Amino acid sequence: MREAGFTTFLVDDDPAVLRSITRLLNAAGFKTKSFSSPQEFLSSHDPAVPGCAIIDLVMSELDGLHLQQALIDTGSDRPIIFLTGKGDISASVKAMKAGAVDFLTKPVQREALFSAVKRAANVDAVSRQRRNESKSIGERISTLTHREREVLEYVIAGRLNKQIAASLGTVEKTVKVHRGRMMAKLGVRTVADLVRLADKAGIAPAHSMVG
Amino acid sequence: MNVLAPDAAIEGRRSGAPHEDWAKTFRNAVIVAVLYYVGAEIAFLIGTLSDKIFAPFWPPNVVLFCALLLTPPRQWWLYILAAFPAHVAAELQIGMPATQLLVAFATNCSVAVVNAFLLQRLQFDPPWFGSIRKATAYVFVAAFVSPALCAFGGAFVQILGGGSIENYGVYWARWYASNALGSLTLSPIALICIERMGSFSFTPTLRRVEAILVAAVLAITCFFAFKEDTSIASGYVPALLYLPLPIIVWAAVRFGAAGASGVIAVISFVLIWRTLNGHNLFDVGNAEANVFAMQLFLIGLSCPVLLLGAAIEETRHAETVTREREERISFAAASSSVGLWQYDLAGEGFWATDYCRTLFGLPSGVPLDLDRLLNRIHPNDFPTAHAAFQSAITRAAPLEIEFRVQGRDRGYHWVSARAQPVFGDDGNATAMTGAFADATSRKMAEAEADMQRHEIAHLMRVSMLGELSGGLAHELTQPLTAILSNAQAGKILLAGGKKNLAEIDNIFDDIITEDNRAGEVIHRLRGLMKKGEIKYEAVDMNELIASTLRLLHSELIGRRITIKDEKAVDLPPANGDPIQLQQVLLNLFVNAMDAMAGVAPSRRTITVSTAVTDEGGIDVRISDCGMGLPRSQEHSVFQPFFTTKKRGLGLGLPICASIMKLHGGTLSLQNNVSEGATAIFRLPPPDA
Repeated sequence: MREAGFTTFLVDDDPAVLRSITRLLNAAGFKTKSFSSPQEFLSSHDPAVPGCAIIDLVMSELDGLHLQQALIDTGSDRPIIFLTGKGDISASVKAMKAGAVDFLTKPVQREALFSAVKRAANVDAVSRQRRNESKSIGERISTLTHREREVLEYVIAGRLNKQIAASLGTVEKTVKVHRGRMMAKLGVRTVADLVRLADKAGIAPAHSMVG
Repeated sequence: MNVLAPDAAIEGRRSGAPHEDWAKTFRNAVIVAVLYYVGAEIAFLIGTLSDKIFAPFWPPNVVLFCALLLTPPRQWWLYILAAFPAHVAAELQIGMPATQLLVAFATNCSVAVVNAFLLQRLQFDPPWFGSIRKATAYVFVAAFVSPALCAFGGAFVQILGGGSIENYGVYWARWYASNALGSLTLSPIALICIERMGSFSFTPTLRRVEAILVAAVLAITCFFAFKEDTSIASGYVPALLYLPLPIIVWAAVRFGAAGASGVIAVISFVLIWRTLNGHNLFDVGNAEANVFAMQLFLIGLSCPVLLLGAAIEETRHAETVTREREERISFAAASSSVGLWQYDLAGEGFWATDYCRTLFGLPSGVPLDLDRLLNRIHPNDFPTAHAAFQSAITRAAPLEIEFRVQGRDRGYHWVSARAQPVFGDDGNATAMTGAFADATSRKMAEAEADMQRHEIAHLMRVSMLGELSGGLAHELTQPLTAILSNAQAGKILLAGGKKNLAEIDNIFDDIITEDNRAGEVIHRLRGLMKKGEIKYEAVDMNELIASTLRLLHSELIGRRITIKDEKAVDLPPANGDPIQLQQVLLNLFVNAMDAMAGVAPSRRTITVSTAVTDEGGIDVRISDCGMGLPRSQEHSVFQPFFTTKKRGLGLGLPICASIMKLHGGTLSLQNNVSEGATAIFRLPPPDA
């Protein structure tokens, strides 16, 4: 289920801890990349690479929560697992609210670590897939003409071609042509598929003018 | 007359009835009148016993003088009034004319009044003749000034009795001599008798016997010395006249003023008595001349004897006062567990109060000397104490030392000794004077306080570690995490076969390293936790600071504080207890961290510097950029229970200060010029 190239990024300013966790994940077959400084990690971060980050909460340069915020600010939604030496409730709540996958207390058991990484991989895969999908839908929608886009909004609102034509001030045949081209451009066959796609793309149905 | 005016006044005040005072005064006045009359009768009697002499003094004047001297001036009129009928009754017997009688009374009263008035003004008061000043004043007034003055009037008595005015000078001289002699022979013994009437019964029997013996021997000596028939013929008069002298001196030396006035009275008595019996020592021709010669002889004798008695009385009194003072001081010193001592530098004599025996566990009766006392000192303290005493005495320098002393029971107790040199008039030290004080209870209290301080220091250390527990736990968690992860990785690799042996070897190396790291943390913590004895050793202050910062590593990171390290290279070792010094460091670092809670994280910096002081000691400064010390309270921070923290106990800095004091160092806090505060602590060079 792991994507090829899924990498676990490790950020900890304690070299011994960094080395040992890297070693453990490597032994279990995870691909890792470790950073002993949060700045180093931030500056070389590539959101395109699938993977998750394991970040120490307490670091001298930049603490974990700030690093998480810095990542979010760059537009990345890379899943994050926090490691902490002490159970810090307020920090963990903040971290989870900001979308952290897990908050693990050191010394960490390997099962907990592995399962957290696996969950993070899932989260990453899902979000990556969703991002890809919405990206292609957006691209397809952008090829529609203004009229085709209008027709789309009426169709997903459940109007009949005749009603659409009346609303647009045109004839039913013209609406049929627009509708056929629009469906072809978006690559859907049924109205049900169209509605699902429009929903994913965030397109609202046209307001009904007729009661 | 036996009731002195002040006593009467006191009694009057006590009973609250002034009339009783007057009743006693009245009774005394009657006694004076009777004595006045009897005195006159005795004088007349002497005059009738022999045709060669008459009384060489006039006793009524002595009676009146003594009465006035003993009473306040406001009562004098009463005594004079009482004496007048006695005077009239006596003088009428010899058929004295009224004018002569009145003039005689007036002059008699005047000499008594002038005497009493001047002497009271000159503060001639009991104890009579107790000092040379008093005796000189008495002789000056009663034997010279007063009779000489009044004699100008007294001379007229003779003229009024039919004497020629041409003989005025002779009459003046006679009147003078008679009154001066009365004041010198009868008044002193009378005054002393009145004064000591109450205490006579307390005089030891032996002393009373001695007094009577002296009087008897003197009387007998005078009896043989004062006879004209043999002595003049044989030419021994001057030699024999000096015969009573040794006895006079004996009496004066042994009995002071009382003895002196006593011998004067005895000599006068024997001389008069011998003359009455026909042994006229001063047979000049007529009776007047004989008596005058005798008067001059007795006046000349009495003055120096009275002064001698007074001088001896004064010396003896001074001795008594000194002895009593010494006894009082010794008693007071002993009551407060202090023994006094003095070491005479020239004579090497040693004096000490009896309490020194108690302090040094010596039985009473053992003669005291410095060596005997010092030999009681605990063998361990003896060399130091002995050297200190020796050096102080040799250099005549102040001494202050404490040592243990073998008590009379088996235990040892603490004695503190202090001494200082006593300087003579020439500025050279003549003696060392000092005190030994029992310091056992103070030493025990000090030990108790030390123990409590130690206890509190430990509690503070533990509570501080409690506050830092989060950061400290993290210091342990890190190596434990590394160990666990390494071990788990190792297990996975082992399951994968032998191809991973090199990596497994690395894993073991890391596990060992991390285990040691955790062990070090625990070792440091255990040192701070335990309540050990203070152990002084060479301490590398830079290393101690580094180790403290390692302990605080996580706490500093958690609080986003940067450490700026300005430690000196080649810092000499300090002498101290590493645990206690680390406690001071920890406390100062925690204070600095707390002070910066309100500062923006990017500016939270603690600067730690070490340096060598001018004396070769070590100077450590821990500087923050926090809120600084509250104004005008820079000294309050060392007072127990003063705190600026919400949950502070206010004991941290006082404990740190006491630890530094224990190390002979100092701890101070001051605000920085720009912001924050700096804690400075200094340790003396190891050999200081």
